[in-house]
Amino acid sequence: MQTDALVRKAGGGRLSREDQRRLGDILQRVYDDVVRQGVPDRFKDLLSELDGHNKDDLDPENPAAHAQGDEASHASGLVEAKAYPNSKGSAS
Amino acid sequence: MTMRPSVRDAMLAAVPSLRAFAISLCGNVDRADDLVQETLLRAVANIDSFQPGTNMSAWLFTILRNLFRSEYRKRRREVEDSDGSYAESLKSHPEQQSRVEFEEFRVALAKLPPDQREALILVGASGFSYEEAAAICECAVGTIKSRVNRARTRLSELLSIEGADDFGPDHATRAILSAGGRS
Repeated sequence: MQTDALVRKAGGGRLSREDQRRLGDILQRVYDDVVRQGVPDRFKDLLSELDGHNKDDLDPENPAAHAQGDEASHASGLVEAKAYPNSKGSAS
Repeated sequence: MTMRPSVRDAMLAAVPSLRAFAISLCGNVDRADDLVQETLLRAVANIDSFQPGTNMSAWLFTILRNLFRSEYRKRRREVEDSDGSYAESLKSHPEQQSRVEFEEFRVALAKLPPDQREALILVGASGFSYEEAAAICECAVGTIKSRVNRARTRLSELLSIEGADDFGPDHATRAILSAGGRS
């Protein structure tokens, strides 16, 4: 695939279907490259920690989370401590 | 904090795509992962506002996108200086012959205006419909379509111009591209 062979449109007109397909293919592959990395441990651990107060829901693969209730409290506090004044966002 | 296993599983399942989206947005893996972490923290803290049966992935994308935008406003200059970091952020790639092209693409992607970039990623890579992307970005469907078209046009420009690093997207060009990119 030759990214530099993507057709340049004089005046920035709409792309041909072929060019759109090429762009789409590259984009999808770049994206999937990350997706294939799966779920890093930090996020598995994080959700287990956050879930630590609910003993029934503990991840059986991560019993250590059981002892991390304080961590969960800390993490929850982190959420509230952060100020996101525009959490609803706005269309630009 | 109580969270049904199904909810937690749905969050975990969304993480790979959330990361890909976050990296696309901020062009840096470490910041992207921090963004994903903040997203999960907020999601768990606000889990009561999630409506069971609706799209967990779209909900998380919405949170992440809003977090990124609020952060982006604070650190606009830094973000705009991030050209190239996206290419550096994922150095290893199994398909060696494509690596240069991929990095070239990532650099170009990082140059897109954020609203165009996010629209293109959501529709072109994350697999959301125009309608879902519009909901995530809190704008009209037509706006998403327009942004996607502009993004594609701009990307093709960036990828076909040698030494594009030396030329920032000037406003005149952008205006022309925008005018030509309407759907």
